[in-house]
Amino acid sequence: MAEGKLRQIAVYGKGGIGKSTTTQNLAVGLGEMRKKIMIVGCDPKADSTRLLIGGLAQKTVLDTLRDNGDKVDLSSIMKNGFLDIRCVESGGPEPGVGCAGRGIITAIGLLERLGAYTEDLDYVFYDVLGDVVCGGFAMPIREGKAKEIYIVASGEMMSLYAANNIAKGVQKYAVKGGVRLGGIICNSRNVEREIDLLQAFARELGSRLIHFVPRDNVVQHAEIRRKTVIEYNPSARQAAEYRELAGKIDQNTFFSIPTPMSAERLEEILIEFGLMENIKDAYQI
Amino acid sequence: MAGIIDRPRFGCALGGALGLLRAIPRAVPILHAPAGCGYSVYIGLNAGAGYYGGGYCGSTSAPSSNVVEKEAVFGGEERLREQIASTMEIMDGDLYVVLSSCMVEMIGDDIRSAARIFPGVLATPTPSFHGNSYHGYDLMLETLIRDYVPEQAGKKPRSVNVIGLVPGQDAFYKGNLREIKRLLALIGLKANTLIGEGESLEDIRRSAESELTLNLSDVYGSLSAEAFKEKHGIPWLRAPLPVGYLQTEKFLLTVGEYFGLDREMIDQALQREREVYFDYLERISDSYNDLDFQRYGLVVADANYAPAVTAFVAEELGWLPRLTVVTDPLTGEQRARLDSRFETFEPSIKPEVRYDGNASAVRRHLADTWERNRNQKYYEALSPLIVIGSYFEKDLAEQLKCSYLPLSFPVNSRVIFNRAYAGLSGGLTLAEDLFGAIIPGR
Repeated sequence: MAEGKLRQIAVYGKGGIGKSTTTQNLAVGLGEMRKKIMIVGCDPKADSTRLLIGGLAQKTVLDTLRDNGDKVDLSSIMKNGFLDIRCVESGGPEPGVGCAGRGIITAIGLLERLGAYTEDLDYVFYDVLGDVVCGGFAMPIREGKAKEIYIVASGEMMSLYAANNIAKGVQKYAVKGGVRLGGIICNSRNVEREIDLLQAFARELGSRLIHFVPRDNVVQHAEIRRKTVIEYNPSARQAAEYRELAGKIDQNTFFSIPTPMSAERLEEILIEFGLMENIKDAYQI
Repeated sequence: MAGIIDRPRFGCALGGALGLLRAIPRAVPILHAPAGCGYSVYIGLNAGAGYYGGGYCGSTSAPSSNVVEKEAVFGGEERLREQIASTMEIMDGDLYVVLSSCMVEMIGDDIRSAARIFPGVLATPTPSFHGNSYHGYDLMLETLIRDYVPEQAGKKPRSVNVIGLVPGQDAFYKGNLREIKRLLALIGLKANTLIGEGESLEDIRRSAESELTLNLSDVYGSLSAEAFKEKHGIPWLRAPLPVGYLQTEKFLLTVGEYFGLDREMIDQALQREREVYFDYLERISDSYNDLDFQRYGLVVADANYAPAVTAFVAEELGWLPRLTVVTDPLTGEQRARLDSRFETFEPSIKPEVRYDGNASAVRRHLADTWERNRNQKYYEALSPLIVIGSYFEKDLAEQLKCSYLPLSFPVNSRVIFNRAYAGLSGGLTLAEDLFGAIIPGR
């Protein structure tokens, strides 16, 4: 990516895999490099930026839209968090009603109209919830938005299954537009031979494991205090891991059109790396 | 890849349901839809149905929740409840029915549960991805039968419900129902046509007392017929829309057979009708022969009209229907039913039957079925020809330099009030219109 040009990055991954934690810690790593960053949480739960703003819940874009109609002031929906990282939450409807996917489309459209994408920004991160279930959740990778995708995964089978599905969605947009997969980020769950598995998985996708983030309880300690690791304990080993991830993403030049695999091939890889003793255990597939 | 639809001959499911409610006095629709839906449906339905109009609460006066982006994101049920309450307060009606658009169905609004808190308010989900306006008619009528018509213990002997003509899609539905009611009365049956002349919500509520449901369509109205059967224990019989004497006779014999009526009695009932009918039709016979009024025919119409009109011109007017294009999207079973309607034709007058809804395809089908003029020394032209179709066939008729009568949807070039093509008086009217269409060209 050209120097000084805005990089829009979407982070996908199975629900609960650690997308928000990874994105916020990574953003702080980039923030330490004096990058100007905005994070757009694309999840109705609106919990993508709580570590940056210390739990100060800002109004979500859609809450504001619901209450005030189109008369929305950017300052009411954007809060500057740690290292002046700009934090926005799209929000969404109550569970079970309306259309959350449409909500994301509406929220991002509104942010554009309100001029949230200023020229001084180096990075915009979209932290998108769980699986890409409909067109709305693909909004951040539509034409003119995020060109880079990172998938957060672990060595657990369902996480890889979801990652492969997400790659299918990315492939669809990559073929017709400029979207590319920047790599797989492993958020370790301490699964046996996890790094080997993730490397093989990424290779099969035509991508690479950009960084292996080891499991460390300091992440939980920081989260309880509504902080990223770098803010909570800048000298922690885990803080160095996130800085390293930030450096790798900042320097990343390897972007690919993913080549998602069939369910059978995914199973083969899982068996090869000892995750699955017996094919019958793969009840999810 | 799905094919394109070139000038559709029907609207959406919402349109079909609105077309039916338009036919029911004091029924008020409440659209749970963006503002454009009600308006677009009206634009399509009004002129296409021979200037059907909107009535008290149709067209641009149709109550609508006019949902916008906010409702798309957060759900629109609250807005709908508000709209139901205000409609009931402002609009004077005896029945309120909530209909849904594609958008609110996509986001999962539950219009039935929203309507349920208002006693007596009905709801019919009518997203167009479920079907077209013919289907919308069926969905709406099914709801009325299941949720509005009270159950009735005893049945009235020799009473019949009549369904299967789709208001709006059939611009002549009301006149047709009048004639069907008259025909059934000839053999001692009392018909409840639900939406005919002078009929009201009260007739719809009384429909559970009928002994039989007559479905005038090979294709439309099956859900409603089944609803009468399941909910009210009323069996149903398919007796396609008759046009002209021969079809009417068959129609009455079919219905009469169901009720075990004496064939002799039916024939006697038809005796006077025959005399009147052929007395009129006979008037044209001299001119028919002297001025050569025989024509080749091209019929383009929906599943109700295509077989009936083709048979009428072939068997009663002695014309030569060359091609009949049925314009509905049909299932294999429905198509087989329609195919069987053409199997009874004499081989010499049996038309080529094609199933195609695209307006531009008619010309291609015609070219397939009739050899082109390639400057042969002797060429048998498809002439003189009459095109009996919709407003869309006007251009084709002009290109072919032939006569033309529009009767199938859309019929934008005619104003239709009580005109009918069904039965005996309808057959005479159709003959009048057909001969009338060829005379100015002479």
